[in-house]
Amino acid sequence: MTPINDRIRPAGFHVELIPPKQDSQKLEDDLGLFASKFERVMESGFTASITDNAMGLLAFQGHECIEELGLRARPDQVLIHLNTFHTKEDLDGILSACEKLGIRSILAISGDGSPRLPKLRPSDVEAKDTASVTSVELTRYIRQHYPAFTVGVAFNPYEPEAHEFEKLKRKLDAGASFVITQPIIDRNAVTDRLLSEYPGLPVFIEAWMSKKLFLLSDVVGYPIPEDAAFDPVATLGQLREYYPSCGMYLSLLGFKTQYTVIEEMAAGAARRAT
Amino acid sequence: MKIIDEFDRRSYRNVWTVSECAGGDIHPVSYELLGKARELAAAGGCEVWTVVLGSGFSEHPDALYAYGADVIVAVDDARMRAFNDELECHVLERLVEKYRPEIVLCAATSRGRALIPRLASRIHTGLTADCTGLAIDPDSGNLLQTRPAFGGNIMATIKCTDHRPQMATVRPKVMPMPSPEPGRTGRLIRESILASDTLNIKEILRSVGRQESTVNLSDARIIVAGGRAMKGPDGFRLLEAFAKQLGGAVGASRAAVDNGWIAYPHQIGQTGATVQADVYIACGISGQIQHLVGMQSCKTIVAIDIDDTTPMMKLADISVKGDLFELIPEIMKEIKKGAAL
Amino acid sequence: MRIVVCVKQVPATTDAKIDPETKRIVREGTKAVLNPFDLYAVEEALRIRERCGGEVVALSMGPENAKNVLVEALSMGADRAVLLSGRGFAGSDTWATSYALAKAIERLGGADLIICGKQAVDGDTAQVGPGIAAKLDIMQAANVSSVDDICPDSITVSRMNETGYDVLKLRFPALITVLKDINVPRIPTLRNARKARAAEIAIWSPEDIGAEPDKIGLNASPTRVVKTEPPAVRAGASVRICAAPSEAAKALTEELFRRGLIRADVREESV
Repeated sequence: MTPINDRIRPAGFHVELIPPKQDSQKLEDDLGLFASKFERVMESGFTASITDNAMGLLAFQGHECIEELGLRARPDQVLIHLNTFHTKEDLDGILSACEKLGIRSILAISGDGSPRLPKLRPSDVEAKDTASVTSVELTRYIRQHYPAFTVGVAFNPYEPEAHEFEKLKRKLDAGASFVITQPIIDRNAVTDRLLSEYPGLPVFIEAWMSKKLFLLSDVVGYPIPEDAAFDPVATLGQLREYYPSCGMYLSLLGFKTQYTVIEEMAAGAARRAT
Repeated sequence: MKIIDEFDRRSYRNVWTVSECAGGDIHPVSYELLGKARELAAAGGCEVWTVVLGSGFSEHPDALYAYGADVIVAVDDARMRAFNDELECHVLERLVEKYRPEIVLCAATSRGRALIPRLASRIHTGLTADCTGLAIDPDSGNLLQTRPAFGGNIMATIKCTDHRPQMATVRPKVMPMPSPEPGRTGRLIRESILASDTLNIKEILRSVGRQESTVNLSDARIIVAGGRAMKGPDGFRLLEAFAKQLGGAVGASRAAVDNGWIAYPHQIGQTGATVQADVYIACGISGQIQHLVGMQSCKTIVAIDIDDTTPMMKLADISVKGDLFELIPEIMKEIKKGAAL
Repeated sequence: MRIVVCVKQVPATTDAKIDPETKRIVREGTKAVLNPFDLYAVEEALRIRERCGGEVVALSMGPENAKNVLVEALSMGADRAVLLSGRGFAGSDTWATSYALAKAIERLGGADLIICGKQAVDGDTAQVGPGIAAKLDIMQAANVSSVDDICPDSITVSRMNETGYDVLKLRFPALITVLKDINVPRIPTLRNARKARAAEIAIWSPEDIGAEPDKIGLNASPTRVVKTEPPAVRAGASVRICAAPSEAAKALTEELFRRGLIRADVREESV
């Protein structure tokens, strides 16, 4: 595999980590678990990709967990998600804190709302001619005011194709420099088109590491047929073969059951590369 | 006030309403209350009294008689031009102690919902908020007060057996507007503010009317409301055009507001506005109970959605299955065509 | 300056269960959350403290596990929390609840300002705020949309009504109930959330607040729920339209005109 970007580590995986929830009844335990997962990802040389109130469920911020737990964030191995459901003050607070921690990558997404989460207003990110802040305006704001960050954006191959490509163009024009797809479980024509239209663009394929495909339907907003024989690890292997130039982003990875297998997979790839 | 014995219980008589008056005008909900009070008074064989606290109204109280009041208790004083909780509560407390009504009904307006709980707390009696049904129990003679509880999931019937007066608030437009009886008259009792009423009351620095009519969902005849399936602010721009064509207002589910597609004043449901429009057109709103409680008393409900299994599609009077973004422009074309006929 | 903010634990709505005997909501075993409107009350209390100094005390009444909503208030930044809990309080309606909270505030040594949410989403009565003000015989303003000024002895607020707003000056001690428009509640930081979970929450019984036994709980509550039933269900779709967009649009429009729901004058406006 050839390095796709000096800031983005293809030799290995992006592993999605979800910080403890705000309403946790056993916060200290949850924090302990988060810390051990985070450290394991660091040791493996993978990238910890930390979500921002995923699905609109209130959770603590990735940077807070790193600071508060005294975790060692290796600068190139952390990707912080940032959505549009913040106050301006919080947005700038998160970005400044990440900068101080040496984190270099941000994934800018529109995200999911909840009654508890304030939505950024266009004026908060100096956006004009729009009624609502999306990842486009967020990306532009981050690139302008925090140029040290590499900003990634999401790509949803399940949405109507023309619309999604048009949106991607606006995201890239706003300064995004890498892309993470929504989870796919097979070779995907829209993703193929993405790679052929943007040959130089670093793309990460999200692989669904849970056996529960119905959850995936909820995430992408389109029904994915249930398949009792779905094997996440085998599917990941196939996706790596189909898309050798792409990084792999693992969501819902089972640390107990899958992590060692994943590490071996990465080590094998590294051996083959040398 | 806690009832001591049967003699004490019988000392409370008549059905009272607290009329609402702003800038000298009687709020229409006051007449709705009188209609209900007449019904209750007929069942209990007693009179209907209404209390009006305000400024500059008492020249023309005839409408209150026409709508059912036998007696008007009027306190007309410039100090009550704007609503002062403490002052009005003191006055009402005195009047209730003096005249001992058996039942007190009040509008569940912003004023009523602040004033009446304070009064109930002061005189130690029960209060049921936002009643949708009021009737006299034929066996005990007590007031049966029915209200939606728990976000409309249940209807609870509540009694207040050992305290008097029995007090309830009713939201505007929940009770039907009675037909007035022109020429009907009654007695007028004038009361005034006492020095003791004015102790420890707040200062009202100024009252400001709303500059422009922003979102007025409660008075809208037609409401076009959108939910999650409108997908974004562009979807709501489409609904705005649709609502404008119909001369209606735009509403929204919480999901749409939470996603920032439209501002909070448009939200309908448990944590937003309650509406009673003639026509409610729900576009891509699945119909969670929290939303339904805010709109289910609209007269005709139209639902448009691609998914016809949602609660909203099932309860609607007219349901249209299809893609909103295709259907709405087509509907707008058809309405325009109809207008050209 | 002492600010008391009254918060309530409410069941997450969709899990509603009613006890057939007491006709009251069963709180055991259902997911419980902080009443959403109370977040704005907590936030406003914190903002006032940040401007004027003093302390914010979060106060609640409920079963032991209502501690969780106090933890949330502490996580946001309240200085301390008190829960009224005990058998004697069980079955309280809004009258008895107002009495107990007012007694607790007296026991705290009083408050300059008491802040409540607009209403609780389970009962929707909006009665407890004014009820407390009545018991303490202090000034009140419900539906406050902004705090405009604070002096050592008074607060100036804007109170929304149906046609506009009033600007009111209340002398301390005073009570306000706040609307959603008033602020954007902060999200607790991890540091505060950890501190809050370790904090001691005082639990006060009826005796602790010197409550008269005949003024708390079910026996002091003037109202009784005598019956609960499911709400009347609407008849449902009498007309179902499922066709190609242009056909469906035509069918709907015809139906609306036929029923007189779209009037000629509206049609004219639309031309």
